[in-house]
Amino acid sequence: MNESTFFLLAFLTYVLSALVYFGSQLFRKEKWARAGYVLAGAGLAVHSLALAARTIKSGHAPFTNMYESISFLAWASALAYVLMEGKFKIRKTGPYVMLIVVALMAVASSPLMPKEATPLVPALQSYWLWLHVSVTLLGEAFFAVAFVSSLLFLRADAGGRKPKGEEAARAAERYDAMSYRAIAVGFPLFTLGGLVFGMIWAYKAWGSYWSWDPKEVWSLITWLVFALYLHTRIVLGWKGRRAALIAVLGFLAALFTYFGVNYLLTGLHSYA
Amino acid sequence: MPPETVLKMKSVWRLFSSVKLAIVLFIVLTLASILGTLIPQQRAPAEYQAHYGNLSRLVTGLDLDRLYQSAWFIGLLLLFGLNLVVCSLTRLTPKLRRTCGNTWTAGPGELASLKTRDSFTKRLGLEALIAAARAELGRRRFRVAAKNESGRALLRARKHTLGLFGSDIVHLGVLVILAGGIISGLGKYRSDVSVSEGQTAPVPSRAVSLRLDKFETEYYPAGAVKAWKSTVTVFEGGTPRLTRTISVNHPLSYKGVMFYQSSYGWDWENPSLELQVKKKSDPAFLKTISLKPGGKAALDDGTEITAVRFLPDFVIDADNEPATRTWEPDNPAVLVEGYRKDARVFSGWVFAKYPEFTHFRDAGEMDLAFELTSYQAPQFSVLQAASDPGAPVIWTGCVLLMLGLFFSFYWPPREIKLFLEGREGPSVAVSAGGLASKGRDRFEEEFASIMAVLRRTS
Repeated sequence: MNESTFFLLAFLTYVLSALVYFGSQLFRKEKWARAGYVLAGAGLAVHSLALAARTIKSGHAPFTNMYESISFLAWASALAYVLMEGKFKIRKTGPYVMLIVVALMAVASSPLMPKEATPLVPALQSYWLWLHVSVTLLGEAFFAVAFVSSLLFLRADAGGRKPKGEEAARAAERYDAMSYRAIAVGFPLFTLGGLVFGMIWAYKAWGSYWSWDPKEVWSLITWLVFALYLHTRIVLGWKGRRAALIAVLGFLAALFTYFGVNYLLTGLHSYA
Repeated sequence: MPPETVLKMKSVWRLFSSVKLAIVLFIVLTLASILGTLIPQQRAPAEYQAHYGNLSRLVTGLDLDRLYQSAWFIGLLLLFGLNLVVCSLTRLTPKLRRTCGNTWTAGPGELASLKTRDSFTKRLGLEALIAAARAELGRRRFRVAAKNESGRALLRARKHTLGLFGSDIVHLGVLVILAGGIISGLGKYRSDVSVSEGQTAPVPSRAVSLRLDKFETEYYPAGAVKAWKSTVTVFEGGTPRLTRTISVNHPLSYKGVMFYQSSYGWDWENPSLELQVKKKSDPAFLKTISLKPGGKAALDDGTEITAVRFLPDFVIDADNEPATRTWEPDNPAVLVEGYRKDARVFSGWVFAKYPEFTHFRDAGEMDLAFELTSYQAPQFSVLQAASDPGAPVIWTGCVLLMLGLFFSFYWPPREIKLFLEGREGPSVAVSAGGLASKGRDRFEEEFASIMAVLRRTS
């Protein structure tokens, strides 16, 4: 079996996982959520095979063009979710994270994305490609999990304000905690991969660790937004609504760093 | 100092020690950074004039065209740094006093204020229980300090104390990075060294020079560029010191100066050209002449051929004049002229890739045909020489930043205090309390299992 077969299988498994998860919520079947989790894990495993097959075939890291990096982000998001879920057992975020994963896989398989592996341009021939991109995207994947649980918080919070909304209020509290835990993992990863490894690589490749290139600036903006989240939460005790809004903004900034900068702004990072 | 001044200084200190200022600065820095990515940076004034019209004076007046280097943005960063210093210092002092201070007590009264608590009475000698507590806490990697007097004992156990200082280490890291940025800004050196194959070029304001031994472009089978490689020899005081190959991602470092592969090109002012000359009247005639622009070669019939000018990528420019579009040899062309007894008899551009486009003016009856069969120019490589005294400072800051993040998120500080009171019997009244600012769930489990062990001790 080759990469595209593995990719398709992973895609289908993720879709199945999302469907089962949604079904579990719709029909209130707790056991189905377990199946959704297992399917997400299976999709992740098959997707890993797809990435490995591509790496072997192309001879370089599987995130050097848009198709590859979106597929990798989908993989990282699935991984981040499986890890968080394994630890915190908040199955209700499952359907929505899997929805994001499925959406990313759909974007990656769109005919607009050239899929053939192209040889690496000289600027990307470095082991820092592995370190910088994979760690950054993994960090962003945890931000995606925080984004989903923050949105769910906002919904549950609205429910918790109604009379008899005790259950919603309890759920809201758990979403809030999960957002924080996801950011507590994502923030150090993003700092390490995006900023620290990015600076080291920039120094080795361009001769300057910081050039105020739009992608660098947007990474800094993303970092500042999550730093704001952590400070308001830890020092000022902001939880709940305001924290959730900052987490949502932070993920949108990360998303813009990842996609928007490439299509809307020009700069040194004009590879993928 | 007059009391008003003291009061003023205190209020300034209070302003800078407030997290609110930090949060305002986070937001202002974020918005300013966004603005800098929306307005193109470092362009010519005319471009802003064309793009923003009357607003362009606002853009240049507020330095929005070089926002990240502007005095106000750097001022904001410095303000941020100052805020960070004051904020960290005000928070550090009580933390240090708490961790390093030796005046601690653990009376039942103090334990009552802790969220995690337990108390029980155990039928055992005081010393035996202390030993058991020490063993269990030590096994769980707590550091234990004890005070023992007249039948009462106080035990204080701590671990992951560094976790308390995680945020301070992060802040220190950020400050070091800011300092590194300032050092780079003041002391950064950068210069392009353009050198042709076989030539030596001095590195501006450094006591070394570079000889380019070889430059080569490697291609993938499909034709895309795989690598640009410059083999250079570094000379210092006229003697060669080392020879290395520099390529993208693989700079050469020599005595604090880094050399990066930055650009390349051909010296088209000085190409070696080869023209093939044929005669329409004589199919057997074939002559190859080698010459450089400005050079002349004579044919046997007395015609003198001159290569007047060479262009690597011929186009007709806006002024209707021949020019080169790029410096890549994409459309090489040479202006060939023929003279007989010092009078020009023909003149025309010969295209290497489009021979059929060749057209001669002033030619009359033109018997000769030309083909540009070879065009070679010495290659040059542009190497960027750079040294950045801020870089090692930045790496130090990065290490501190990551260590601090690790400690603040994954090294949760724990403290357990035990108050043991020996009674008749013998028995011991145990009161215990625990303190954990993060990850309390896990800590409570640990606390409970330590208490369970102490209860079971015999």
